[in-house]
Amino acid sequence: MPGFRDLLPAEAEVLREAQESLLAEMRRWGYRHVITPLVESMDVLDLGLGVDQRRRLYKFTDARGDIVALVGERTVPVARLVAGKLRGAALPLRLCYAGPVVSTDEARFHHRRETYQVGAELIGASGAVADAEVIALAARCMEATGIRRYQIDVGHAEFFHGIMDAVQLPDDVKGGVRAALAARDFVTLESLLEGTPLKSAEHELLLRFPALRGGPEILEAAGGLVRNRRSEAALSELGRVRELLIAHGIGDVVILDLGAIRDFDYYTGVTFEGYGPDFGRPVAQGGRYDGLLARFGRPAPATGFVVQLDLVSEMLARAPRPPALPRLDAAVAWRGAGLGTALRLGSTLRLFGMRAVVDTEPRSQTEAKAWWRAVGAANLVHCRGEGDVAWSSDGQRTRNLPPEQVAARIAGGGE
Amino acid sequence: MIQREAVSIALPTGVLMSGALGLLTRSRLMSVSAEELGRQLLVERSGLRVILVRPADVPAYVDHGAADLGIVGKDILWESPGYHYELVDLCFGACRLVLAVPDASRLDGPETWPPLIRIATKYPRTATAWFEARGQAVEVVQLHGSVELAPQVGLVDGIVDLTATGRTLRENGLRVAGVLGASTARLIANQASLKTRTESVQSVVSKLREATGDDR
Repeated sequence: MPGFRDLLPAEAEVLREAQESLLAEMRRWGYRHVITPLVESMDVLDLGLGVDQRRRLYKFTDARGDIVALVGERTVPVARLVAGKLRGAALPLRLCYAGPVVSTDEARFHHRRETYQVGAELIGASGAVADAEVIALAARCMEATGIRRYQIDVGHAEFFHGIMDAVQLPDDVKGGVRAALAARDFVTLESLLEGTPLKSAEHELLLRFPALRGGPEILEAAGGLVRNRRSEAALSELGRVRELLIAHGIGDVVILDLGAIRDFDYYTGVTFEGYGPDFGRPVAQGGRYDGLLARFGRPAPATGFVVQLDLVSEMLARAPRPPALPRLDAAVAWRGAGLGTALRLGSTLRLFGMRAVVDTEPRSQTEAKAWWRAVGAANLVHCRGEGDVAWSSDGQRTRNLPPEQVAARIAGGGE
Repeated sequence: MIQREAVSIALPTGVLMSGALGLLTRSRLMSVSAEELGRQLLVERSGLRVILVRPADVPAYVDHGAADLGIVGKDILWESPGYHYELVDLCFGACRLVLAVPDASRLDGPETWPPLIRIATKYPRTATAWFEARGQAVEVVQLHGSVELAPQVGLVDGIVDLTATGRTLRENGLRVAGVLGASTARLIANQASLKTRTESVQSVVSKLREATGDDR
């Protein structure tokens, strides 16, 4: 099926390892794992999603005639959970999740309809300290997967809202400005704004939107240009978040991005995106969404992010030094009475944390070596009889040793 | 900040190619002949890498990050909107996307359209959206070339196609009955390139912008 694909062992293993690293990092920060269903009722999703997001859902009717959908993201299910089954739990709540999401729109995920996301949500905490925690967690998550070079762009939705409030434009032009920015179409934006007689600092800011990024100096530069309370408050909050991120130890990967174009109807405060090297799209994105929980009847500030897991593993695979795939440590072959020894040796190796596969049929020495090469293990142990074991290792000659010594030497890293 | 060596820009083959090469020369970014680029498809000099691709492929190269920047007709962007920044109207390669009907046809403005209008085009998405926005039911036949021929042999009522001078339309006994939009060459940018390689990409963008005559 177009947009869906199988992940073969090598790919699946990289993806799985990345997922484990992400969840482990989130747990280290006190985020508890929740699992929400792949299917949600449309009644729930209608509450939380915008029109475009709803259109992209795979919808169908269940046996009772209710309209349900496969989830396209998991922030809304988590919000439902916090306002519902976790209603009694004290805020703030730190939750994380992992799983596939689907979208009918192929272009959205670059011709993939099913992708994997790992996310974290901090619900019930407002303010710069909570914003900085989530951004720092996102940064450490990227590191935890093995991405060495990355940057986090931090912006603020209120900066844009303040400009739109202050700028003197007819409503239909404002609508056009929003649409042009959402489409990242600066040519249309320019012609819209050029056609209006009123000029102001905010007007000029809209035109310079994508260039409003850099270090702390950008806050000062922008502060000199805006003349409205909302944008000014956003700038001072960004300054505070930046200081906290320095305290978190990630100041050198943070770039302030006042021109970040995000879903401005959804985000209410600090937003951010994580970029890896030479990769055309953000691998992590998130921000503050203080309006969502109220729609489920438990008003609460919230912030969070998702990591696009398949992009992470793609990036790792493309890196100059791709992650070493965990290799099978031992192929255990046997013949005749060696089976019992082989099974015991397999158990021992696994107890040591080794990956060991025991053959399903008896083999001669030559056959065993061919099988060893086929399964691609680091060691071959051929059990030729009770206590009679031949051990071959990459680049080493074959030696006869007692089984327990073989197990100890393999577990101890060869020689 | 994350840096990579050369800034790459995807140029389209076809009618926009000479304009794009002229722009590169005027902006002093690179002087490369159509012959050389046409032969090598990829030329890299002094920090700029130019790749030559089919016009409809430019957005794909940019969206996937294989090129930081791209020069492409607005008509292509209508048909395949993607996840890139549209930065500058480069002001060359002007043409219009029009609804054209046979000279003898009684079709003209929307009031003359039949309940279901049949249209041949290379721009199915744009054409469908335009008619739907006007409350008009439309049956779109997607063709890949010689669209002008389709009404003459009775395949469709009219065509939606690009025209610069209108000569091809006239030669095929067609006249303009509506304008869907005006297109020029645009400079588009990969969203991550602007963020992860801001300085080097922005410097190329401003040189191209200046050479276009827009000195803002």
